[in-house]
Amino acid sequence: MILTIFFFFLIPILNGSLIAHLLWPERKGSALLLKFSLGIGMGLGINSILYFLALNIAPKQINVLAVEVVLFVTLGIIVFLRERNQKWERRRFLSLSRIQWGLIIVGLIASAMLVLIFVDQSIAQPQAGIDAWSIWNRAARFISRDPENWRATLSPDLYWHDHADYPLLVPLNVAWGWQMIGSENVRVPMMVGAFFVLASIGMMFATVALTRTIGQASLATLVLMGTPLFVWAGAGQVADVPVMYFIFASSALMFLALTQQNSAFLILSGFMAGLAGWTKNEGLLLIVACVVALIVVNLKELFRSLKFFLAGLAIPLTMILYFKSIAPPSDLFTGSSALVQILDISRYWMIFGALGRQLLTFGYWPFSIFIGLAFYALLMQIHWETYFDKGLQAMASTILLQSLGYFLIFLLTPHELIWQLNTSLYRLILQLYPSELFLFFSVVSEPEKVFKPT
Amino acid sequence: MRSVLQKVAVTLLALACLYSLVHYWISVRSLNTITTGNQAVENWEARLEPVKQALPIKRGIVGYVVEWDVPGVKYAFGDLETEYFLSQYALAPLILVQGAKAEWNVAILKPDEIKIWERIYQGKFDVTCLKNNVYLLHRRGAP
Repeated sequence: MILTIFFFFLIPILNGSLIAHLLWPERKGSALLLKFSLGIGMGLGINSILYFLALNIAPKQINVLAVEVVLFVTLGIIVFLRERNQKWERRRFLSLSRIQWGLIIVGLIASAMLVLIFVDQSIAQPQAGIDAWSIWNRAARFISRDPENWRATLSPDLYWHDHADYPLLVPLNVAWGWQMIGSENVRVPMMVGAFFVLASIGMMFATVALTRTIGQASLATLVLMGTPLFVWAGAGQVADVPVMYFIFASSALMFLALTQQNSAFLILSGFMAGLAGWTKNEGLLLIVACVVALIVVNLKELFRSLKFFLAGLAIPLTMILYFKSIAPPSDLFTGSSALVQILDISRYWMIFGALGRQLLTFGYWPFSIFIGLAFYALLMQIHWETYFDKGLQAMASTILLQSLGYFLIFLLTPHELIWQLNTSLYRLILQLYPSELFLFFSVVSEPEKVFKPT
Repeated sequence: MRSVLQKVAVTLLALACLYSLVHYWISVRSLNTITTGNQAVENWEARLEPVKQALPIKRGIVGYVVEWDVPGVKYAFGDLETEYFLSQYALAPLILVQGAKAEWNVAILKPDEIKIWERIYQGKFDVTCLKNNVYLLHRRGAP
């Protein structure tokens, strides 16, 4: 059954990878890994959009798998025609240094452990946590059990905690998977979760390897994989790891666009930002943050960069706007007395206090990873290439604006602040965590410099 | 000296990541379906299966009656809220709303609680007792 589910999802994933390859025909090993990692998110994103369109146009009558297969054949032919006369670089792994091999081996051990933890957690909690089945898989059930009446999942009559307004990328993929195999098998949401964990790991390794070194990429990936919250949320069948992946992908692609002067990255960045908004409401904030970051950082070439970013954003944004026009309003924007809350200083203290505690305990690490990384940076020293400047500024601005948005949400939430902080702050920090790690490992000296042969 | 410290820092960071994973793995291995409450999802689905079969509608709004709808009955809000989530998940794509507000309603009440509820709504609903303290309530006079 697991293989059957895997092969159904493999076609959309390959389609996503082929689209990424068509837009960015780089053939280096790390570039191919990046395109496969992007392909997972893009593929599942496109699949959810196709299924969403099918539900709206003619539910049960349009075969999304057939559309995916046609797309795959078309993309495959285009890529084949373009690639048949190209020379592919052969990467010689033996040219890696001892420290690079060492870190790669540690990374592989960590990957194997991560797989075992994911499997163990999925066996122990096949239905995952309450958010998984009350929000995401509930929405998937509404869609898969009654596709003709799928809009019932957006009913304002649902209890507010069912979050009928939440975007549908994850539930649509789960519902599609269930339809493909003909049963509500828990392995489908597990596999969707696994795909996003895998894609996040691949993205981290590939982007850092492309911009820095293999050793640095291995370390960055190790820190991500070593964060228990990452695998906990990934196996938890919720949308926090998917939205985290899209936030990271969008901001890392913007970094690449601004450092390598390649517009294709901006198109991909816009598309990934749109898919972030199609995954979770926090992604909507990312769209705004990315646009503002582009305006601030790339003012001289604003029109050109915005044009490409918006071109990528267009399709998912259209879906989001349509979805939001039929979905009920968010519970976060109902009945709060904004001015009173903004003027309440105790709320600021409460938010900063919770943030401080998270900095010490984040991620279920046995120690504070943020303090650990601060010491690491002190020892290793910070420096960066000047051509990184715009990319770093854009990424830092995106993280900053996104964090500011989260802060405002906490300030204005109509729910009890302590409850809101306890239930969501750690997840919001996780959503920005890979982008922060990327930024960190972009400016800290790489291990190759320390272990270079004398 | 600094170079040695830097080498130690890289090594420690890599090992710390492995240690963190081992540490977490141990805690995951101690999890089981009873402590994580996952059996609750399956048990609840089985509990509501008779009402799912008995309901003549497969989509639309269904009322949901529990202890919070019975005056004088003590209840823990958190438990009832979780049970609501479990019921909503089990009965999807039906939409559960609080109280006997629809033509068809599901009640999950103990025998003495349903008696109190019936006294209040005397003659307004046909009450069908299913298994495990689950009741199907049909509003009288509805088409």
